[in-house]
Amino acid sequence: MKVKITDIQHFSLHDGAGIRTTVFLKGCNLKCPWCANPECISSKIENGFGRYISLNELESEILKDEPYYKTGGGVTFSGGEALLQIKDLEPLLKKLNINICFETALFVDGNLVKIANEYADELIVDIKMLNPENTKHVLGGNINVFLSNLEFLDLNKVTFRIPVTKYSIEDTLEICDLIKKYPPKKIEIFKLHNLAKRKYEILNKEFYTEQVNDLQIDEFKNKLKNVFSNVEIIEI
Amino acid sequence: MVSASTKFLNIAKTVFFKLEKYDFTKKFLIYSIITRKYNWKNKNLKNTLIYSIKNYTNFYTPSLNESKGQQLKDLFENVNITIPETGFVFTIDEFKTVNYKHRIADNLSLDYSKVLNTSLNELKENYLDFDDYSQNQIKALEAIEILIDRIIIEIDRSNRKDKEEFIEFFENIKYKPVETFKEALQRILFFNQLLWQTGHNLNGFGRLDYVLNDIYGADSISKEEALLLIKDFLKAGHSYYIYKSNSLIGDTGQIIVLGGLTNDSYFTNDLTYLFLEAVRDLQLPDPKLILRYANDVPDDLFNLAIQTMATGVGSPLISNDEQVIPDLINFGYEEKHAQNYVVSACWEPAPVGKGLELNNIDSLVFIKPLNDLLDNEDLSEFDDFDEFFLKYKEYLLNYTNELLAEINSKDWEMDPLLSLFIDDCNLNKRDFSQGGAHYNNYGLTSVSLSNTVNSLYNVKKLVFEDKLFTLGELNNLRKNNFKDEDIIKLLKSQAKFGMDCPDIINLTNDITEFTNEIFKSRTNKFGAKFKFGLSAPSYIAKSPNIKASFDGRKNSEPFNVHISNEDNRDYTELMRFASKLNYTESRFNGNVVDFMITPDFINKNFSKFKDFLKISLYMGVFQMQLNVIDSETLINAQRNPDEYPNLIVRVWGFSSYFKDLPKDYQDVLIKRALENEGKNH
Repeated sequence: MKVKITDIQHFSLHDGAGIRTTVFLKGCNLKCPWCANPECISSKIENGFGRYISLNELESEILKDEPYYKTGGGVTFSGGEALLQIKDLEPLLKKLNINICFETALFVDGNLVKIANEYADELIVDIKMLNPENTKHVLGGNINVFLSNLEFLDLNKVTFRIPVTKYSIEDTLEICDLIKKYPPKKIEIFKLHNLAKRKYEILNKEFYTEQVNDLQIDEFKNKLKNVFSNVEIIEI
Repeated sequence: MVSASTKFLNIAKTVFFKLEKYDFTKKFLIYSIITRKYNWKNKNLKNTLIYSIKNYTNFYTPSLNESKGQQLKDLFENVNITIPETGFVFTIDEFKTVNYKHRIADNLSLDYSKVLNTSLNELKENYLDFDDYSQNQIKALEAIEILIDRIIIEIDRSNRKDKEEFIEFFENIKYKPVETFKEALQRILFFNQLLWQTGHNLNGFGRLDYVLNDIYGADSISKEEALLLIKDFLKAGHSYYIYKSNSLIGDTGQIIVLGGLTNDSYFTNDLTYLFLEAVRDLQLPDPKLILRYANDVPDDLFNLAIQTMATGVGSPLISNDEQVIPDLINFGYEEKHAQNYVVSACWEPAPVGKGLELNNIDSLVFIKPLNDLLDNEDLSEFDDFDEFFLKYKEYLLNYTNELLAEINSKDWEMDPLLSLFIDDCNLNKRDFSQGGAHYNNYGLTSVSLSNTVNSLYNVKKLVFEDKLFTLGELNNLRKNNFKDEDIIKLLKSQAKFGMDCPDIINLTNDITEFTNEIFKSRTNKFGAKFKFGLSAPSYIAKSPNIKASFDGRKNSEPFNVHISNEDNRDYTELMRFASKLNYTESRFNGNVVDFMITPDFINKNFSKFKDFLKISLYMGVFQMQLNVIDSETLINAQRNPDEYPNLIVRVWGFSSYFKDLPKDYQDVLIKRALENEGKNH
């Protein structure tokens, strides 16, 4: 069995507990304009991005850093949309005796979410925006899929990760309501960065920027804090 | 690029060794070394010349016709003494120094416990016989007395309010062991000063927390008072900073060793913490610290060590006792001596006060025999990589044999001063320079192992496996200094040193094992052993004469630094790699993993970073040092040095102000920082 990846990053400190190895799976069903890993969007191997890796090879690459996982760390499957290849990954997930985390936008078939919830010790769930129209046009997703998938999650495993953009700021109220209804373990918010600019150039795609200032981020954070205490601004 | 003053010194050295018999040339050399340092500070050759002419009358060095002990007396009778207005007394006359025929032993730490617990009078009792050795030693002690008496007179003449106290401290050196913590610090500084004044370079301070343990415990002094005294001590240690610097500004070898595994438990006391706090607060690049690490190091101590590193002060370096001590014992040091190890000027471990452990005698340049092979052999003869590798080993053997033979042909300058404090000299009635000490092992460092491994791997992969070139074709490209950037890219994009890749690790261990076998089969002129390590200061100094190499390095380009791999930001991979290298038998003479990290990285990820260090050390990393810096700061500091007067960087085993470094060293740091931040791709 093989999966398609773009990269494996050891010594990853921002995608879950402890010291982790992050596997970037290739392929996504959304088209977030600010995507930090644009090379992971297409499921095709293109422009030198992407390769197949066997589960055995992937396993040994992940376990190279096993001593460091004593820190509570482990593997994080990111992407792209990590859950799109979860069925292919399942034999490995069964074997791995380390902390497992998925980073997902949840715009996928509910059965995939159930599998993820079963194997995951941690889940990083992105909340990009909630407005149905925007979700459809900007992301290319159906917000009802996202909302119904929330029902399948053990919330004590969940970190919500929210990019602070004009869309999420516009949906602040709805996001607060959602958090009240589905209180997670933790919330991380972050502002967009331009580290991926080079990759956009290589892929010949337009690079998206928008001006959100620190004041707006603090304001956004404070509003979330009104309904949930554990909110952290992170840099990714 | 070699600076003008270094060129000048090299020429002076050549002239000196040719005209050794003429006293004048010797003195010229000694004087040129002294004034070269002024040029570092001043960066203006004309002013330096004026300075050196003006001060020539202050220059003094005793006659070589006298015994060494008498020379010390002559020197100490002549030095000018400067008493500072406050703080500890530390005085060096930069224009007066010893004369010498041979290399003066360097890179050592005195065992300062010996100077604290004795007196000159007591030491004299070791030399009651009338043999030459004893007489020379007595003269050395008399010389020290001369200097003490002169210092006492000068203190008395000074306006110091605390003159009574300090006069007593100096009187006591003659008659009794120290009685207070403050007196102990002053006495350490005095004997340290003697070493500098007598031409010894790169003098370490040793395990000060350990050495001062009893006297600190017996003193009723508070922690706050002790911290102030330690800060004063460090400031005195920082004085004459340029004068003490050896090959670059900051290269002083003034290392204070803290903590350490002793009898299966970790030694630490208040002073371990206080020295760290003092260095963290003072933000001086020198003296600098090494923390001896063990798995059961107290958590708060390790936190403090990391906080200190995170300030960017360049200290402490971490030395892993769990690895180092077993390797020292395995090499042949007695267990209790191994546990009481300090390090030479950079990081090379050796028991303190036990020997002529010259850990920095020379550097093995691993790439040299490889390039020699490529220049001299018919390359069409090799059918596979194994044959080629075997030939490399043949060249490495010859090269190492020649180097060790050359080292063995060198003599050491008689040294009654160090012989006073080094074990077994008195027992054997033989000067330390003549093999009188308990241990007499020679240590080498090494450079370009990384370039060599990468070159050999490229031969294996690109020539014999992928058959992209013949050896001859690749060698022609090398001889033309790799004009084609695509070729360089190809050569640099293969598996390489620092990667957790079996081929690379096996190649590395294979080369060090072969070298180890050579080292084991040789003895030095005292019948003692040779040792080597994988980290060295000479990554720039040794590179100018080495042509391009198969790793994609161009003519004269600096070698890679220690155990490092900047273009891989998976720090865990570098640590896995380092922990899989073999450091046993003769291979323990300093093995530093050197990595760059941006300043706020540590603070933002403190606990994860701490776990990362602890696990890496647990896995078997030998030693590690960090450059806590970002490329942007370095680039700005190179452009506008005046705006960054206090920016400290770690160079090899020392820290320095960035502005004081020659441009080629600054460039290497900037290049590494850019690569580390992924900005060079």
